[in-house]
Amino acid sequence: MKKVLAMILAGGRGERLYPLTKDRAKPAVPFGAIYRIIDFTLSNCLNSDVRRVLALTQYKSISLHRHIQLGWNILSAPLGEFIEVIPAQQRIDEHWYQGTADAIFQNIYTLQQEKPDLVLILSGDHIYKMDYRKMIAFHLEKGADLTVAAIRMDRKLSKEFGVIEVDKDWQIIGFQEKPEEPKTIPGDSEGILASMGIYAFNTEILVRRLIEDARSDSTHDFGRDIIPAMIGKDRIFAFDFRLGDPGGTGYWRDVGTIDGYFEANMDLISVIPQLNLYDPQWPILTHQSPHPPAKTVLAEEGRMGTALNSIISNGCIISGGSVKRSILSPKVMIHSYVEVEDSILMEGVDVGRYAKIRRTIIDKDVHIPQGMEIGYNLDEDAKRFTVTASGIVVVPKGMKL
Amino acid sequence: MKKRILVVEDEEGLRLLYKEELEAEGYEVLTAQNGREAIQKLEEEPDLIILDIVMPVMDGMEALGRIVGRERKIPIILNTSYPGYRRDFMSWAADAYVTKSTDLGELKDKVRELLEKGKAL
Repeated sequence: MKKVLAMILAGGRGERLYPLTKDRAKPAVPFGAIYRIIDFTLSNCLNSDVRRVLALTQYKSISLHRHIQLGWNILSAPLGEFIEVIPAQQRIDEHWYQGTADAIFQNIYTLQQEKPDLVLILSGDHIYKMDYRKMIAFHLEKGADLTVAAIRMDRKLSKEFGVIEVDKDWQIIGFQEKPEEPKTIPGDSEGILASMGIYAFNTEILVRRLIEDARSDSTHDFGRDIIPAMIGKDRIFAFDFRLGDPGGTGYWRDVGTIDGYFEANMDLISVIPQLNLYDPQWPILTHQSPHPPAKTVLAEEGRMGTALNSIISNGCIISGGSVKRSILSPKVMIHSYVEVEDSILMEGVDVGRYAKIRRTIIDKDVHIPQGMEIGYNLDEDAKRFTVTASGIVVVPKGMKL
Repeated sequence: MKKRILVVEDEEGLRLLYKEELEAEGYEVLTAQNGREAIQKLEEEPDLIILDIVMPVMDGMEALGRIVGRERKIPIILNTSYPGYRRDFMSWAADAYVTKSTDLGELKDKVRELLEKGKAL
């Protein structure tokens, strides 16, 4: 078996997710009540038997560090397995990572120590399930130097993606970064092959191309610089995501914006979500502190503790208030006569009596005072909070109200 | 204008030999005793660097990484008698490799070749 090292780019700032990324990098943003975004990629690694994993961080990495230390310290070091966080050490140079390729180049000493046969470069920003073993098998079968995972997207979205052009054997013959006029899939003029930012590289080729890139005028980015420079020179192939998608739903989300983030969360409370968290063949792991089970109390006329069409985590108490179509992280307290609808409440949020919350994301440890209304008058809300174009209100972490 | 070459070498005798021979070829020569000094000397904007690998304070391989991170295009010749260095990924960042010798013929050829190439770009 080939020795595989996964390197997860976990430094994403996620600026369009602000204020959820005020104190944390994008991979550390909570998702689906108990997870962080990076849990999906880490779970993919484990479920794919990739057990040498490095997460490369830079900005605001404390939250991510803590999460991985507490939740993912589960592999066996004596067997050569690890999940480790590597902060930007500025070992080679004093600047932050300049691009995705620079992040790997700056960690060339780590590659040296590990000497893997293959390097799997992943993003910590995306939510999806994927069996990387299928991609690695494809890579070896094709005798490829580089394999890029690709997903079909509507051609109208081409400006958001790196667009891959392939021949009939799925060899990559062109790559356009965020094009207006994309090359479509042969036989599918409405579809494009979008790069998922997932790369399998033979280590030696990776190092050679990184060094060449480091020594040239470049933005030091895999999509913009490295892949275009390899076309026609090296054997590079695209791997069809559908062949490695264990759920078979084609689910893959970038959750780049607050609206996208909100919708991806809300999918989870539908009867049959697109993202299945209940598959015993593909468990999603995370860190959870031990909390007592969730409970609802009070069942008096007009003061019913209820939760409908919602996700309620451990440690929550819904006491005489009503929760509908919402996602509650651990330790959320809902007091009497409260109404919460279509909202995401993160860990430690406390909603005081008579408060009304609608279409709002409340980040961790916010105490909503008695009687406050959020999501009912967006002009008023916009004076204090972030309000998105589609009318989602975001209350930042720890805000004093 | 004279081309400026930075020689990084911890052995004093060799350092002087390189300096004299390269000056005789018409180059201006700066010297450094180790990797750290070499990085300080980057401020004097050399056109090419000749880099030993085994040196105290900061070795050539680490200096190579740092130089490349800062001055991306400056040509670098690794000049060493230590044979195992090619196993070190960072060594692949050098533009040329010359085995250490008191006959500087090969080294001078490489210097000329790389400076010519730089002019062409």
